[in-house]
Amino acid sequence: MTKQLDLHDIQGNVLKTYARQDFTYARYILFAIKTPAMGRQFVRDLLPLVTTAAPWARPGDDGEKMPKPGATTNIAFSYHGLKRIGLPERSLHSFPEEFSMGMRERGEILGDTGRSAPSYWDAVWNSKDHRVDIWLSINGRTKPALEERYAKIRSILANTNGGVIQLCGHRGENGAENLPFQDAGARRDSKGEPTRKEHFGYVDGISNPFFEGTLTDPSYITGAGKPTRKSPESPDGWAPLKTGEFILGHRDEAQELPKAPIPRYLSYNGSYLVYRKLHQNVGSFNRYIEEKGKDLPDGSEEVAAKFAGRWRNGAPITSYSTKKEADRFLAEVAAAKKAVAAAANQVARAAAKLEYAKLASKFVGFNYQNDLAGGRCPISAHMRRANPRGALEFGVKGAFETPGALINRRRILRRGLPYGESDESSNDDGNHGIIFMSIGASIERQFEFVQQQWINYGNDFKTANDKDPLVGSHEMAAGQGTGRMIFPAEPGSNKAPYFCSGIPRFVETRGGGYFFLPSLTALRTISEGIVDPG
Amino acid sequence: MLEKNTSGRVYGLTLLCPIRNESQDGSSCAEILRCYLQNLDTEDGSPMAKAPNTYFARFYVLNDVFYEGFDCKEEHLKSRYLVFSSNFHGDRDAYVRGMWNSNKEGVKAIWRFCVGFENVTDAEGFADYVKRCQVDNALVFNGSTDDSLAEQLKALYLKQEFSRFAYANQGASPERLQQNFNKFVEQTQPFNLAHPTWPSGHLHPNASIADGS
Repeated sequence: MTKQLDLHDIQGNVLKTYARQDFTYARYILFAIKTPAMGRQFVRDLLPLVTTAAPWARPGDDGEKMPKPGATTNIAFSYHGLKRIGLPERSLHSFPEEFSMGMRERGEILGDTGRSAPSYWDAVWNSKDHRVDIWLSINGRTKPALEERYAKIRSILANTNGGVIQLCGHRGENGAENLPFQDAGARRDSKGEPTRKEHFGYVDGISNPFFEGTLTDPSYITGAGKPTRKSPESPDGWAPLKTGEFILGHRDEAQELPKAPIPRYLSYNGSYLVYRKLHQNVGSFNRYIEEKGKDLPDGSEEVAAKFAGRWRNGAPITSYSTKKEADRFLAEVAAAKKAVAAAANQVARAAAKLEYAKLASKFVGFNYQNDLAGGRCPISAHMRRANPRGALEFGVKGAFETPGALINRRRILRRGLPYGESDESSNDDGNHGIIFMSIGASIERQFEFVQQQWINYGNDFKTANDKDPLVGSHEMAAGQGTGRMIFPAEPGSNKAPYFCSGIPRFVETRGGGYFFLPSLTALRTISEGIVDPG
Repeated sequence: MLEKNTSGRVYGLTLLCPIRNESQDGSSCAEILRCYLQNLDTEDGSPMAKAPNTYFARFYVLNDVFYEGFDCKEEHLKSRYLVFSSNFHGDRDAYVRGMWNSNKEGVKAIWRFCVGFENVTDAEGFADYVKRCQVDNALVFNGSTDDSLAEQLKALYLKQEFSRFAYANQGASPERLQQNFNKFVEQTQPFNLAHPTWPSGHLHPNASIADGS
């Protein structure tokens, strides 16, 4: 039987990528609980605003489905927040250690050292008086819709009479240090239309895991599920991941229920959220790719593509090895999209849609089986590290029972949006980066593992101490970065590999925390103060 | 069929040497030994860095066997043991003799409290003693090749130096590259195992290659 999830019980940000559904404005707000009773009242009053994973009606749908709202709201708690709101000791002790320690204390594991150390974080994470207890997100389809939702939340907050306070200390534009919230949103083009580009110019958020019970159209499994041994270009090449990798209370890839806090209804349909504000050193990045680009046929664009594993337009470099091919592919995709809009009748539209879907699946429907040496997509490229797509078998036939053996339990749902402004003349200073969020059933096994072993180390890829070129925590020595990366040559091409050295830290952590993202049931029981671990 | 104690040219040696049930100045011999082992020099100061062909070695004091819980029989050892395990290249007796000959005083200091060791006076005697204390390993796992230590250290040294060379000479003209490579060969002497090479026992190679831009 197909896995059925109670979508009305799961928070919407677990299953929905709001930014892809027209919610291009976001605001993140942090609260501290002064009195437990008021904390519970605050959550109780917020409950009607919390967005669930239930699907929204599309134009032409009749009846039952909810219309798409103008704004969404989701909330999550830090360990300290759960304590402050009065969760029983037995429940608190049943949470995993990394969650109760929190992101700051896990800094050594995450590589949050040097300029990423907590002392450099936004003041909101460093207050002596208040710790972050509640994380709240608003995603809006328009700025006014977001502001309207924010005003509503402010009035709910006012009713707590200071029992819950909104924390200030987010950095913003023009040196602002003490903002009461963190804004983020899609970067806009010259016509004001939202783009999917982050500050280094890459189209972002192309691939996310596909799991049982997900809302996504089943045809989207290509490139998004766990790898099988069939062609990566076809849906057969992928199988849905088990729900329990992402949502607590469901079977996971170890064929068991993930370890979860008690009582069961507290964790069932909940998940963990990792929130990180990542500053991007746009100036350093542009200078570096410009400099190294002088040595490569496709110039700085090629350096950027080798770093990420995708050209900045999104085309995977393992499939499109030159800029020309990548540009042609994007032009084909754009033409196919136009053809859908221009279709004269339903039959033509269906055919055009099919053609478009076939092309679009090429963004994700690939693996590295024909690129084992990394001649096209380097082994150390960001995308290949963060999601190796079966490449950890290193081409040894049947090395593992399944090609995803070392990968399937390390997947994360990525959510997030850029913040701040940047352009080609931007330097490292200023306020521009990405709000990175990852959702999964185990922060330690998924996010922390990927960060520690795959981003900031190279052993699993046989690249020694090399780190992820883009987001690795490269140290500085004698005023220069110490990061290295090899762009291997295609075997048989008679070309030399290219060595990048002196890579500085392009991305720095400016704050963040670990949060528990409860189900609607759990939110209600927490807010009523009736969680009973027995 | 798997040979016990070996994997290719790697030997996995495990010794259980009983420690005398005696005391000195108010401390048991086992405690004095533990204290001595915990304060041994590390890296190239380690006594095992002096023992030729040692890949990896470890000492510890075994207090007793674990009680596995009801309804297992509760058992105890008659004495405490010095456990020595070592992965090395080559033949057991030759290795043990080499250990004695390269660092006789170090060996004596470690084994001084062990029952029967008082009769060991030379390399042959130590080899005999080791044979009597040996516990067979059914499975030996080796995390590296089974070449001699000198081969392996030279290979690691060359690999690191060659990476440095590759970074430093990227884009050089063929003439320049050949010149520099000749210089590299002259400096690193790939066929000379003794020099230059990584010293045994070093955990942290001297310089980082990350600076070679």
